[in-house]
Amino acid sequence: MFLASLKRHKDIIFYRTIAGIKSEGRQRYLGYLWFLLEPALSTAVLYIAFSQFTGRSGPDSILFILIGMILWQWFEGSVMVGASAIKAKFHVLNQFNLPKYIFPLVAIFTNTWKFLCVSVVIFALAAVFGYTPNIYWLWLPVFFALQLALIIGITLPVSIGVTLWNDFQTIVSTIFRLLFFLSGIFFSVSSVPEDLLGWFYANPMAVFMESGRAIILRGEPPPWEHLPLAIAITLVFFALGLVLHARYDKRILKLTNAV
Amino acid sequence: MGRPPRGLSHRSSRQKLLAPAAKKLSLHRFAFFARMSALPATTIATSPPSPPPVHIISLRNAGVCYHPLRTLFSKTKKEIWALRGLNLDIYEGEKLGVIGRNGSGKSTLMRVLTGIYGLDEGTITRHKKDTHVELLSLGVGFEGTLTGRENAVLNGMLMGKSRKYMTARLDAIHEFSGLGDFFDYPVYTYSSGMNVRLGFSVALETDPDVLLIDEVLGVGDQVFAQKSSAALKEKFKGNRTVVLISHNASSIKDLCERAIWLERGQILAQGNPADVAKFYETNIHKYTR
Repeated sequence: MFLASLKRHKDIIFYRTIAGIKSEGRQRYLGYLWFLLEPALSTAVLYIAFSQFTGRSGPDSILFILIGMILWQWFEGSVMVGASAIKAKFHVLNQFNLPKYIFPLVAIFTNTWKFLCVSVVIFALAAVFGYTPNIYWLWLPVFFALQLALIIGITLPVSIGVTLWNDFQTIVSTIFRLLFFLSGIFFSVSSVPEDLLGWFYANPMAVFMESGRAIILRGEPPPWEHLPLAIAITLVFFALGLVLHARYDKRILKLTNAV
Repeated sequence: MGRPPRGLSHRSSRQKLLAPAAKKLSLHRFAFFARMSALPATTIATSPPSPPPVHIISLRNAGVCYHPLRTLFSKTKKEIWALRGLNLDIYEGEKLGVIGRNGSGKSTLMRVLTGIYGLDEGTITRHKKDTHVELLSLGVGFEGTLTGRENAVLNGMLMGKSRKYMTARLDAIHEFSGLGDFFDYPVYTYSSGMNVRLGFSVALETDPDVLLIDEVLGVGDQVFAQKSSAALKEKFKGNRTVVLISHNASSIKDLCERAIWLERGQILAQGNPADVAKFYETNIHKYTR
């Protein structure tokens, strides 16, 4: 049922995503250049912050933090904007009979486009620092797809939750703040105590960050053994999201207090 | 093509209409109900329609309920029934007028018919598969930074049309809107009137099976108002099913073949538009407190 509905609305999602990207490009004088400039600038900021103040310097630690940071920003940005998309498009959804997952997905895909632009900057930087592509780079698209699935999986139920229940937004933000510090953006796995390692890897984002670093920085295979749990967590969220969307699709607009 | 039944049939089961509210009977309300029951309860039967009408959408005992958000520190009323116990048949090709005061459930009914809201009670039957019901909208969902042309396609897609379908009709939309060069300008440069022009022109090109119109007959400046009103009246002439909601009885009298008076989410009277409109105008004050 979900697949049939998705098939029927795939064009809306695709062209709305393009429209979202165009729209962002046209809002500023430098237009589409910002898709590359913005990540370049935030890279510079991170470089200054972490190389100068943490004492960790050199290309290795900069790329280490960057990989963690961009994967996290893709994740958090997409879930946050995607989750609030139903409320943001309340007036449109109140006018046209559309499934409520459309605008969360559009928000996710628009943000994913930005992530892809950032990743180009990262690859360029890695090449400049002498990290040349190895055979494991072929796995990067697979990990991107897995993280995209995780983002969609989490956004689906959270989008219903924050629309129905305003308090949930604050709770979700708090959880994200916590995960931000626990996902290993600023520290490496080696500094995680042995007995907590299982918990550390129960967080799919920690697995994805560690995989990206293993592939790009160390030329090693990613930590395969932790992938099944990450995929299982994604599927659980996804299933929950489908159930909630099916249950609330025709009711959510009259249960929310958006105007 | 079916024709709807004609003639005024007034609700005879008034007790049923009042039942939900009558549970908490206060003195004040009692007086109000006493006035209501003074209304004529006659049914004027007329000759049966021929050929037999074909149903397109049927509502049986339909109810839609809103739940205001409750907080720890506030006590709000638990539920507000916008529609309750509503029985309505819409026939293929008919022009149905829905008249009612503010808050009588007209817009909720429109959202039920489009499928935006599900029912909390009762059933809705769409007799043909994939019946496309669309609410006439004026520029809702436009992206300010995109051009009129881009928005026309995107907006049409929201109404269930394919990109190809919309692209093929861009010239017609451009022409009807009368926007000229502005059609290729971003929508944020438009005046509110131009926005409405574009929205109306797009809506006109999407061909739903059932068109729902909520108080928008004749929009924009004088020239466009005449043009849009004429175009809408064209829609009323064809075989399309049209539901027009209004609190203004005269446009319903002019354009519709059948009318219903919606009050507190139920049908208070239905039949010939002129009779319903007259009945509405004579009795409306009995429902305003």
